[in-house]
Amino acid sequence: MKLSNIFLAGALALGTGGAWADCAFENTVPLKSLTAGFEAWKAATSAMAECGNFEAELDQEFRTKQPAAFAAEPSLYHIGGVSNGTFNPLYNAGTIRPLDDLVAKHGQHLEPNQLIKINGQTWAIAMMVNAQHLMFRKDILADLGIDPPTSYDEVLAAAEAIREAGVVDYPLGGTYMTGWNLGNEFINNYLGFGGEFFDENNHPSINNEHGMATLELMAALSENMDPEFLQSDSTYVQQQFQQGKIAMANLWASRAGNVVDPNESQVVGLVEMDSAPVGPVRPHAALWWDGIVIAKNITDEEADAAFRVAMEGIDTEMVMANNAAAIWLIDGYEPGPLSAGAAATAANGAVPYPASPALGLMHNALGTGLSDFLTGAKDAAATLIDIEAAYVTAAKEAGLIN
Amino acid sequence: MKFRVFATFVGPSLLLMFIFIAAPLAAVFWQSFHVTQPVYTTVVAETCTPGFINQICTTESRIQLELDEDGIPIRTTEFVGLQTYRSVLELDRFWAAVKDFSWSKLMVIDFWKALRFTLTFTLVTLPLVIGVGLLIALAVNSAAKTVRGQIIFVSLLPFIITPVIGALSIRWLFVGDGILTAFLEWVIERDIAMLGHAWTIELLMLFYRVWHVAPFAFVVFYAGLQTVNNDTVESAVIDGANRIERLRYVVIPHLMPLIVFVSLIHLMDAYRVFEEIVGFRSQGYVISLQWLTYDFLTPDETGNRAVSSASASAMLTMVGIVIILVPLLRKTWRDHRAGLN
Amino acid sequence: MAAPRSLRMSTGLRVASIGFIAFWCLLAAFPIAWISVMSFKLPVDAFASNPLHVVFGPFTRDAGKGLSILDIAIGGTAIWQFVRFATRRMPHLVKAHPPFGSTLLGWIFGSLLYGLVFVVVIAWILPSVMPAINKLAGPLGKPIIGFTIEHYKSVWIGDGFYRNFLNSLMVTTGVVTVSLTVGTLAGYGLARSGSSLAFWILIVALVFRALPHSVLVAGYLPVFINSAEFLRPLLGELAPTLYGKPFAVIAVLVSINQPFTIWMLRSFFQNIPAELDEAARVDGCTHFQAFRWVIMPVMWPGVITTGLFSFLLAYNDFLVTSLLLDATNQTMVPAIAGFFNRETTTTDQVKAVAAAVSITAPLFLLVMVFQRQIVSGLTAGAVKG
Repeated sequence: MKLSNIFLAGALALGTGGAWADCAFENTVPLKSLTAGFEAWKAATSAMAECGNFEAELDQEFRTKQPAAFAAEPSLYHIGGVSNGTFNPLYNAGTIRPLDDLVAKHGQHLEPNQLIKINGQTWAIAMMVNAQHLMFRKDILADLGIDPPTSYDEVLAAAEAIREAGVVDYPLGGTYMTGWNLGNEFINNYLGFGGEFFDENNHPSINNEHGMATLELMAALSENMDPEFLQSDSTYVQQQFQQGKIAMANLWASRAGNVVDPNESQVVGLVEMDSAPVGPVRPHAALWWDGIVIAKNITDEEADAAFRVAMEGIDTEMVMANNAAAIWLIDGYEPGPLSAGAAATAANGAVPYPASPALGLMHNALGTGLSDFLTGAKDAAATLIDIEAAYVTAAKEAGLIN
Repeated sequence: MKFRVFATFVGPSLLLMFIFIAAPLAAVFWQSFHVTQPVYTTVVAETCTPGFINQICTTESRIQLELDEDGIPIRTTEFVGLQTYRSVLELDRFWAAVKDFSWSKLMVIDFWKALRFTLTFTLVTLPLVIGVGLLIALAVNSAAKTVRGQIIFVSLLPFIITPVIGALSIRWLFVGDGILTAFLEWVIERDIAMLGHAWTIELLMLFYRVWHVAPFAFVVFYAGLQTVNNDTVESAVIDGANRIERLRYVVIPHLMPLIVFVSLIHLMDAYRVFEEIVGFRSQGYVISLQWLTYDFLTPDETGNRAVSSASASAMLTMVGIVIILVPLLRKTWRDHRAGLN
Repeated sequence: MAAPRSLRMSTGLRVASIGFIAFWCLLAAFPIAWISVMSFKLPVDAFASNPLHVVFGPFTRDAGKGLSILDIAIGGTAIWQFVRFATRRMPHLVKAHPPFGSTLLGWIFGSLLYGLVFVVVIAWILPSVMPAINKLAGPLGKPIIGFTIEHYKSVWIGDGFYRNFLNSLMVTTGVVTVSLTVGTLAGYGLARSGSSLAFWILIVALVFRALPHSVLVAGYLPVFINSAEFLRPLLGELAPTLYGKPFAVIAVLVSINQPFTIWMLRSFFQNIPAELDEAARVDGCTHFQAFRWVIMPVMWPGVITTGLFSFLLAYNDFLVTSLLLDATNQTMVPAIAGFFNRETTTTDQVKAVAAAVSITAPLFLLVMVFQRQIVSGLTAGAVKG
């Protein structure tokens, strides 16, 4: 142990605190925010905190707390962090306010792309996008003379070749952890085949040839993964990459920076980002956004201050200090090789995650219902029937269908 | 003791239990027979969300909640009788599977799958916890006095450690190529994935629970061993009883009330098994009843939660525990009657 | 005192018994020991698949963060002295100088002081002195094992984990105090009543204990969030929002633990002969006076043991604290779960491991100090059922 280490540790500790310039104004209204806790929110809320009188809550339980806390009179929080999905319960319950006048007053610098609009009214300000896309070990593929795969057929063929060559035991990684992750993988793949989840009465419609194709694809992919795939979340896949245990994965863009982080990774410079594999209709991936909303049950004065503070949090200075933390939508972001994958996925025609109360229930039913298929306890046809049945039960209880 | 004095002594405790347990319990009971729903409408709306460079705008039908004039969603509450219970138990599928005598069909229905695991978990860990706890207690009791303190300290570690962290630390030893998996692979010379099969995960979970609770049984039994009457033991020796017989006829009867106490606590805790499912991420393979309740309550991506189903499954869990506890409760009742006379 | 010859164990049994104990101790300590080893390494070593890399940390050592033989010797001696102090000297010191006459306060104050001195010596004085000594020591001063406490520093200082520690301290102290106050009264009442009502109260409490916590806690959340609205007619402008308030969580944890507490304490009080308080009552004491002057002086072994169980429940709770507390008041366990569940990098995970190890340290101290009381408290109480 050397003294310099202590200074280094101290410097690291400070480094996460404040590397960008101070807030442009001094906030006098006490404000609170409730957001998810990942890196990008950490950066944004730390920047907001510099305006003073601001308390950030980065909470893993925010999904449970947000709807109730925003419905309270007055709302317990002023600023909320949401994504495609979590925006819905707040918007639907009428607990967030339209932002058009605030944008006109304090948000002239925002890009049009950042404004989340429903019927022309702005309800949220997006700060970043995220998507799953292909990451692969270019050294392994080059050694075997394989071109970067563009479809899952090519991915499977490449996996086969890598396996035969014995480079790694399990060529593929995947975020197949039972629950949210697994449901999300089905949705990604099903979208790629061009499937529709519901008919016009919110009744399920996944028991069709697209659904079967999706299940077959997922089974084929899982055979090339570590047998513990039903436990693997994005952190686990990221570690598999870092330790050189896998060669390819359809992983979140927000993880790209970590996969090649020289402090942690043994494969620095060997991983390349490309579009998510493209299915018959579109890429097997959905686009996500994260952004801020302002509560309705607060005074206009508070809302004004909250919006100004939030704008300070997601400004150019913050982005320049945290360029690699996310794919920012904010002016000043410099796309690099790490964001190439997400860009290509979007360019190939990926659609936004089609969030709705019905899809929320379906996502859940898929997440828990698919593992029995992947472990072999059920066949594909029975799996789809059971998932539809589980969805119908849940949708009846929620009042979506009668 | 007069009733009024008794009430003053017991009052604060009862009040707390009434507010924070009995009242929520009543609410849960009520919710399990009712369904509260918002009113949905479908409207056509243009929605714009960010693309990578350009905004993506789509016009499509959108499911929305109907709001009243104060801007609060309209909710209707309806009495549905046992319907929620039926949908949690999935009785149609249950009977179909029973008629086919098909175990595998039964084991893909969530509730029955959870019940199977919960019961196995409870009934398998119980004798193990009692047995291992007793063994450690006997062994420590016969160890040299000078090291007893240190042994008791080390033995208590698994019990005092935060459950979430204990489960995680054991999971790390096995996940992927964790060192114990690597060790086992080296011993049996083949590739294994401890967290890739239902039965290995189940074994790990059983192991974890025994590891975690056996120290509690141990320390209770060890305390009991300190009060074994030496005269009784010596007279047993004079009667020619060997070690096993002494254990069987003197020590175990002496410890019996403690064994009942530990069993009671353990049965209740094990039937509510939950941390293991989360800690070992076993939900893809095995689930427990409390996990099922928790899953109903966890909001999905767009904020829906199945409160009625969760209430029904919680009530069913409670009924299960009460049934399991009946034999022990009857014993307590008899002791109580005996104590009065 | 030598056991009678006939009670001595045969050699075979003795060996088996010692072997079993050794195996059990290994099993009990290994997972915890292993994560503490991990927490002192850089991520590449901590998650290496070769166990030797995890233990010796070559990557960490090459990064210039290592311990020499001399470091290990001096550090080891220091830690050993600390352990000896906690087990041997500290109980006497606290008993000899109780501040304001309260042993409990003495323990809290003593433990805090002890923890502070420990951290200052191990994490500050030694690291700043040792490099100089190592330079003089030649080969003995060369680093051989990778070792770094940077994760601890960044968790406790950078991520403000000390705040979670203080919150935990507050919640646990509150739970233990309230739970024991309310519980001893109820336990005594139940033990002395003997009526069927008392029995049924105990049975109902037992059934309450069986209720799955997840459903209880989810039921509290909306009520706690809107409590200001509900309570306004009663309390006017003073009506608090219970969500996020430590006192609300204390009340919840106390209630959840009441069934266990009153069961334990009832059996302790049953083992205190009823003749004692009856004699006091004959002398003209009321029930409360009898309780205060006759029972309280002899109840401490049982109360301390029950208190330890309350402490463990409050300190280790995850479900209640994660849902009902906000960020400013969050306790340690949900904070650690937050480190893990966040979109984590591997560095974050090692930091979380360091936090997980730090959270067990107070538990270590607690058991070290109270070990004898646990056993004697249980011996005095629950045995006769």
